[in-house]
Amino acid sequence: MNEADSFAEIFRGGLPHCLLIVLSMLLICSPVMPSEFEVISMSKFDLNGQHFGSRVPSISLEARSLYSWNTSRHCVLTRLTDLSIHDFDKLRQNAGGIILMLPSNMLDLDVEARELITILEQSMLTYTAVAPIFFAPYNKDLEKIIDDITYTTTDNVAQNQTALSQLIVTVSANRYHVNVGGGSIVANKNSKVPIIHGELIPNQLALKPSETVGDGQKLPVILITANLKTFGIYNDYPANADAAVLLVLMELFSKMHYTTSMAPKYRLRFLLSDAGVLLNFQGSKKWLEIDDNALQNVEFVLCLDTITESLSLGADNALYMHVSKPPKEKTSISNFFKLLKAAAEKYTNGLTVEGVHKKINLADTKLAWEHERFSIKRYPSFTLSSVKSPRSPIRTTIFKNDERLFVEHTLNTSRVIAEALASYMYKVDPISSVFDGQLAIKEENLLPYFGVKSILHNNDVKDAFEKYLNNVKIIYDKPDGRDPEFMFYNENDVKLNVYRVKPAIFDLFLTMVIGVYLLAVFLAIQYFPRFYDEVSKLTKEEPAGQQNGHSSERLRMKSH
Amino acid sequence: MTLYHFGNCVALLTPYYFTYKYSGLSEYGAFWKCVQAGGIYIFTQLCKMLVLATFFYSDSSSSSGEFNFFAEIFRCSVDIADLLGFALILSRIPGKGHSKLITAGLGWATAEVILSRGIMLWVGARGTEFSWIYILKCLESNVLLVQHITTATLIWLFTRHDLNKALKPLVSLMLAVTVFKGVWLEGMLHILAIGPWLTVAVKALVAAVIGFCTLHIYSGLAQQIGI
Repeated sequence: MNEADSFAEIFRGGLPHCLLIVLSMLLICSPVMPSEFEVISMSKFDLNGQHFGSRVPSISLEARSLYSWNTSRHCVLTRLTDLSIHDFDKLRQNAGGIILMLPSNMLDLDVEARELITILEQSMLTYTAVAPIFFAPYNKDLEKIIDDITYTTTDNVAQNQTALSQLIVTVSANRYHVNVGGGSIVANKNSKVPIIHGELIPNQLALKPSETVGDGQKLPVILITANLKTFGIYNDYPANADAAVLLVLMELFSKMHYTTSMAPKYRLRFLLSDAGVLLNFQGSKKWLEIDDNALQNVEFVLCLDTITESLSLGADNALYMHVSKPPKEKTSISNFFKLLKAAAEKYTNGLTVEGVHKKINLADTKLAWEHERFSIKRYPSFTLSSVKSPRSPIRTTIFKNDERLFVEHTLNTSRVIAEALASYMYKVDPISSVFDGQLAIKEENLLPYFGVKSILHNNDVKDAFEKYLNNVKIIYDKPDGRDPEFMFYNENDVKLNVYRVKPAIFDLFLTMVIGVYLLAVFLAIQYFPRFYDEVSKLTKEEPAGQQNGHSSERLRMKSH
Repeated sequence: MTLYHFGNCVALLTPYYFTYKYSGLSEYGAFWKCVQAGGIYIFTQLCKMLVLATFFYSDSSSSSGEFNFFAEIFRCSVDIADLLGFALILSRIPGKGHSKLITAGLGWATAEVILSRGIMLWVGARGTEFSWIYILKCLESNVLLVQHITTATLIWLFTRHDLNKALKPLVSLMLAVTVFKGVWLEGMLHILAIGPWLTVAVKALVAAVIGFCTLHIYSGLAQQIGI
């Protein structure tokens, strides 16, 4: 007894301390980890005061399917392939968040689905969205969750005959709470667009003495421009066929200059920038502002834009020459167009070359094509592209096709452009096949250029420019401090957490059930003495002559 | 809402309080006795852990979800220490009649719930993620309460010399059944692969059957010695 008392004393004294430690430990313990998924945030940038990509950094909302969401307190979790333009228009204004699961493989989709996805992409990149958008790579677990929320809602709609069944559905429904990790979105003060420019000056030795006058500076200029796409709806590297073609042309003409004794009557200049259609061709704009005087005596400006469809939608095998005004006969553009047509007929099977005329809409802040930047300054210019309409969603897609097809098409097109350009520059017949034999464009030449990710990436582009060209210059377009034309944002990696939750009504229901259960237990304990008596009676019959003084005592104990 | 769910889970543990309050323990002021019983539980578990860590290699039977028959037998043989623990409680903690057994069982079961379920409930049931497991575990705790009181009674019966000789083997058998429940019951449930709810129901049934048999024997002896 003494011993037990001291034991109790220890407990009495030590308990508060123990409790303090235990409670503080419990507070530190975080709840169990839910299912976690990788997500990619939609790319965020500003252009001319317009915001693209929501500035809401995180989501902590209930996940709903595309068919059951109705307020901004719902986050829509769905597959990208299930989304329609109409849905998206509603979602981007009213939903609390959008999480889209990308398809496992773009190539498995049919043409219509691919087209829809590219249109969605374009829509996301054209309109400002209030709701934050995240993309989740294909994941089986996530697909199960999506199926679950979609199934529950369709079930709900299908059979709501009785109030009871509806109640059961409401109570038993699985709900999901999504949480996309915090991190703030900060404007990147160092946002800049690199522009690289180089010049191919005709070999001095090859020039005839009469032509050396003026150091070749007086020769007319042919400018070839292209843009590197560095992002799409999310931060990834889109296929950059234009830059590859530009670099191949650069390599070929540089080689030709040094291997043949032919000196062209033109200077070739190359311009590559990191700002494509999404950034309204900021690169060429900046370059024109800086280098305004340098561009004199221009023969024409050749812009490359989406020379190969990175995601083939149709079997439309064509090359379009986009101009701002219809070229007159005998002008440089018209001559080049004819050469291009002839080259296409000779070197490819079925590549048609067509001219497309579109007037510049000066009221529109966004230009349709890059050549419009030059046309405004009255330089003869045109864009070569595989798409007919400037609003084609293919121009901004981040999804890539099968590379083999892609390379083959790019190879064909670059051959056509190179042949046409060579015959224009050297005034030879387009069927003379300049790029055969030693100068043939091979896949090996082209493939490394597809790996180019950015002008600043590893200095790859700079090295290539310096290897083949002279007067290489890199300039940066930085946004103005007060009134930035464009702005990028720093992003952190985010994670999507999905928690399985039950509605609040479920817990109320559970409380009721538990209440009933506790009542049953309470009654069972209350009636236990009576039950004990029954059992005692049962035992008494077997071993006879036992006395039972117990139950009355027990009952007395209870009644206190 | 999540704290509410935690509240729901804790509410399921109210039978412990009911047992304490309505079996007359509160009137005897048996609270500290229960705490002491819990202390002995902790001591027993520590001893068991020492033995397990020293003499048994830790295989992945529990973590992989695979049911390993022999490993379970080894583990359960260590559970005999639990019986010694109960014997210690019964011999050390004073009390009379029914309340002694209930004190031992209740103290033991409460300590077990707090130590083995407490953190899981606090961390898990309060979290955003919903799972039935917490409700199930709480229900199972109720079954364990019945079972521990039964075990305490069986140990008490086992230590009595005035128990009918014919009943002695039965008591020993039931003790063995209780200790090796981990082997035969879990094994059976594993083989039958039945759902978690049915598992709890089967466990409740087993506990009820053993409990009833024990009560039957106990009432006989109780009448005999007049408590």
